Amino acid sequence: MSADKRRPLTDVVCRLSDLEDGKAYGFDPFKRGRDTVFVVRRGNKVYAYVDICPHYGSTPLPWKKNAYLTGDAQHILCSAHGAIFDIETGVCVLGPCLGQSLSPVEIAISYEGDIRFFLGADDKLIGEPVVTN
Amino acid sequence: MKIIGPDELVFGVDSVEACAAFIADFGLKHRGEKDGSGFYEALDGTGLSVYRKDDPNLPPPLPTNSMLRKTIYGVEDQETLNQLKEELSKDRQVRVQSDGTVEAVDDMGFALGFRVTRRRKLNLLPERINSPGAAPQRGFNEIGANEDAEALPRTLSHVVYFVPDAAKMEAFYVERLGFTLMDRFTGGGPFLRPALNTDHHTLFLIQTPEYMKGLEHFAFHMQGPTELMLAGSRMVKKGYQSFWGPGRHKFGSNWFWYFNSPMGTHAEFDADMDVFDDKWEARELPMMTEHSQIFLLEHRAKWAPGG
Ligand code: FES
Repeated sequence: MSADKRRPLTDVVCRLSDLEDGKAYGFDPFKRGRDTVFVVRRGNKVYAYVDICPHYGSTPLPWKKNAYLTGDAQHILCSAHGAIFDIETGVCVLGPCLGQSLSPVEIAISYEGDIRFFLGADDKLIGEPVVTN
Repeated sequence: MKIIGPDELVFGVDSVEACAAFIADFGLKHRGEKDGSGFYEALDGTGLSVYRKDDPNLPPPLPTNSMLRKTIYGVEDQETLNQLKEELSKDRQVRVQSDGTVEAVDDMGFALGFRVTRRRKLNLLPERINSPGAAPQRGFNEIGANEDAEALPRTLSHVVYFVPDAAKMEAFYVERLGFTLMDRFTGGGPFLRPALNTDHHTLFLIQTPEYMKGLEHFAFHMQGPTELMLAGSRMVKKGYQSFWGPGRHKFGSNWFWYFNSPMGTHAEFDADMDVFDDKWEARELPMMTEHSQIFLLEHRAKWAPGG
């Protein structure tokens, strides 16, 4: 039994065919009233990250629903202060959090194209920082 | 120096269309080209300009991903422009544009413009409240909670820069441009205002590493807290991303509500900022969340008690 099988998954958040190539989409798998995870589809690969910018550590990236990419769709953009991130690695390549990374979320795509997120042991998304006030 | 305040911020952006949609919903009126580029103004004629990032008329960008290309200050008269030209020519290149705008860069390389202000004098009602023990400000039969009320930015309030050397920048704005220090967050975080402005701040500097240099946010003054809440709620309803707020700041006392924007910076509605004259003595506090706000609320979808 692989380690992955022991980890809980969210419900199906979408299907691969719902995602247009080269576009990003936000999701609210825990019904928090705003998107907390986003995915970017490139060909048949889907990259998923927690919707929190490492610059301030607790703030969302887009300026409106699904607006996660630069105009040329080549990078992920934090529209709070313009940090741009590599889509495949999540590393900030220019801007206020240079060298820091978005937190990746592990995803599972079933044979039928159903997309789910893996959850960590505490039922939070893997990589989601614990925000204390 | 008879500087009034920031009259215009000029951006070079990825997508003019996205910015045009955002700024229109933010409440500024477009005065420009059909493709959405050009100037967007608040009620008093201050505002934002948006162009494609490769527009040849823009000053060069900062070496970060900041989309701010120029901050244009309104000054009282031609005499002030002459003084600025003379003062800044001492140690940097100064250009005078065909419309008389004096242009140079500040000590961190942010492009600046100065021109005789185009602000229009506003003659508008303030927000009026009824408070026990005081005469009612809103008359009988006048309703305060009007969902359909216009809530439009009245004037460009302030800008906030990330700067790698806040002390050097503060000295430039105070010694060369005649700004006054109003309050300070310890270790780089001066709130500054120019000579002819009584608002608590029109410029706030945040000390950061070189790679962050750029614009943290800009803000526009609303009539009062109610208009701020109305305008902010309408943004949320349209799907824009609230970043921080609504809440109320400590230094300046202004109510705030920040949104992410396609200009790669926060766009803030603010209201009811403190005003000061030259008798004010600056305060200082460590820069921490407790000191940046006296309270912070968070927007949530409509709710009503039921039974
Ligand atoms: S919060 Fe993302 S760049 Fe600043």
